Amino acid sequence: MIIDFLRIAFLGGMLSVDRGAGWNLLLSQPLVGASLAGALVRPEPELELWALRIPIAVGALLQLLLTNAALPAAQRPHDTATAGVVGSSVAILGMSHLHAAIPSSAGGLLWVVVGVASGLVAAVAGGWVQGLHRLASAADTRRAAQLAAAGDTGGFERLYLLSLVRLFGLGALWTWCGTLVLLAGALALLPRFSEFVTTRRIGFLFAVLLGVALASAAETHLRGVRRGGRWALAGAAAAVSLLLALTRGNA
Amino acid sequence: MSDEGTEGIAPDSRPEGAPAPIPARGPVPAPSTPAAPRPLRLRDLGAAAARLLHLQALLTPDRMQGPGFAFAMIPVLRRLYPDRDRLAEALARHTSYVATHPLLAGYVLGAAARLEAKRAAGQPMDGARIDAIKRALASPLAAWGDPFFWVVLRPLAGLVGVLGIAAFGPADPTAPDLRVLLCPLLLLLTYNALALPARWSGVGAGYASAETPGDVLRSLRLAEWREVLERGGAFLFGGLLALLGAGLHAAALAQGSGYGPVVAALVPLTLGFAAARAALRRRASANVEVAITLLALAGLASLAL
Repeated sequence: MIIDFLRIAFLGGMLSVDRGAGWNLLLSQPLVGASLAGALVRPEPELELWALRIPIAVGALLQLLLTNAALPAAQRPHDTATAGVVGSSVAILGMSHLHAAIPSSAGGLLWVVVGVASGLVAAVAGGWVQGLHRLASAADTRRAAQLAAAGDTGGFERLYLLSLVRLFGLGALWTWCGTLVLLAGALALLPRFSEFVTTRRIGFLFAVLLGVALASAAETHLRGVRRGGRWALAGAAAAVSLLLALTRGNA
Repeated sequence: MSDEGTEGIAPDSRPEGAPAPIPARGPVPAPSTPAAPRPLRLRDLGAAAARLLHLQALLTPDRMQGPGFAFAMIPVLRRLYPDRDRLAEALARHTSYVATHPLLAGYVLGAAARLEAKRAAGQPMDGARIDAIKRALASPLAAWGDPFFWVVLRPLAGLVGVLGIAAFGPADPTAPDLRVLLCPLLLLLTYNALALPARWSGVGAGYASAETPGDVLRSLRLAEWREVLERGGAFLFGGLLALLGAGLHAAALAQGSGYGPVVAALVPLTLGFAAARAALRRRASANVEVAITLLALAGLASLAL
């Protein structure tokens, strides 16, 4: 488990740098982060197939929920980079520890709901942690201006690279701590409420979550788009036509 | 050559209240003597472009990407200004406020490098003019780049990844689900197919038309592309809804229990959709808070089941 935590901490650090330092390769999107975490965290052999399937659902829901169509300056400071990693890791490790106490009779939906809820909480708390980097950056910028005025390019470069290391370190530390705290919470709470965990209730929660995710996606992709509704209808018609053609082809 | 603007950082001409420069560590350097200008090499521009990857590591509201831009310019400035005083002046100038789009910053960097090269070679080009051209490029690039890359392309790429999950359907339950690799790859390819060329071609284009920033801006046509991608996003969202509906239909057929379970699933889904849509209309960027609140309410409501 320590190796798992080291892996996800490293992944969280890299994704924080991708989002925060300006790489912007989109590795830090929840779908990518959750899937990578699913590939890195290793549960027992009998749960390995679930450990690949659950992150896909966690990542997809978080991708729709955390995508915001506002300009960056208008967005709330949420940490979307590590949310997928934390959510996916809590789901897999929680399942690994509790599958005997709470059977996943709903086809792993319980762990998807747990993972998405963890990811959402991690996004909010991770935003506060990233605030530490912003605070330190304000002091570093003043120092950088002084070094530049003195022509100390070496000092300037060292200071700048240090801020990059800080960004990585904070992301890694938060991924480690966030996963640990949320996993501990899941391990402590879920067995106590196991009698309430029924397939019907989990299905209900999953359906609500999917509805909220689709509403978030609709806000992103339809709001403010000229004739957005018509284009969506055209997309739906195209998908149905394609499915019908494929079904006929198979028949 | 005009030396106007080069003396702004000298200690005796600092503006009142400005922080004192930090003396260099180690042995005191010998008084600087004017050195012959050296031509800029492709290698220097390449090193500067690679450093642009870290443009935002030191981002603050008062200077925005200024320190990152100066960090990226260091290979160019070191080459052009062997003289320490002139290097200090140029570096301090580039540390000031710069706000542009990180993927399009190459255009600004290329233009700034070309103008600095002209200045170093003794051609009539002062620091204030370099700053003015930088600003003339940086601000419109931010104004066009943010809506294009962040508001449209990034969500669209995410949607393509999610659509991949729905389109490729549930995998064989006894085999590893390869969608865990395929769908993130779809997302990355969709976004980077447009983002990487924009990032890497910027330095050359900015260098080529450094003194005519309008040409660079007109050549990008981001506003037109944005409209196309917005419609593409709406189209794909419709496709996603249709695929989800088809998935529910297939599940009902496979279970052989009719559409009762499907309707039972659609009720909470629709309620969640309607409640979230209403909440997001009031508080547009509160996706996460709305989701957490509705999930908590749904948890309480599920106790009645």
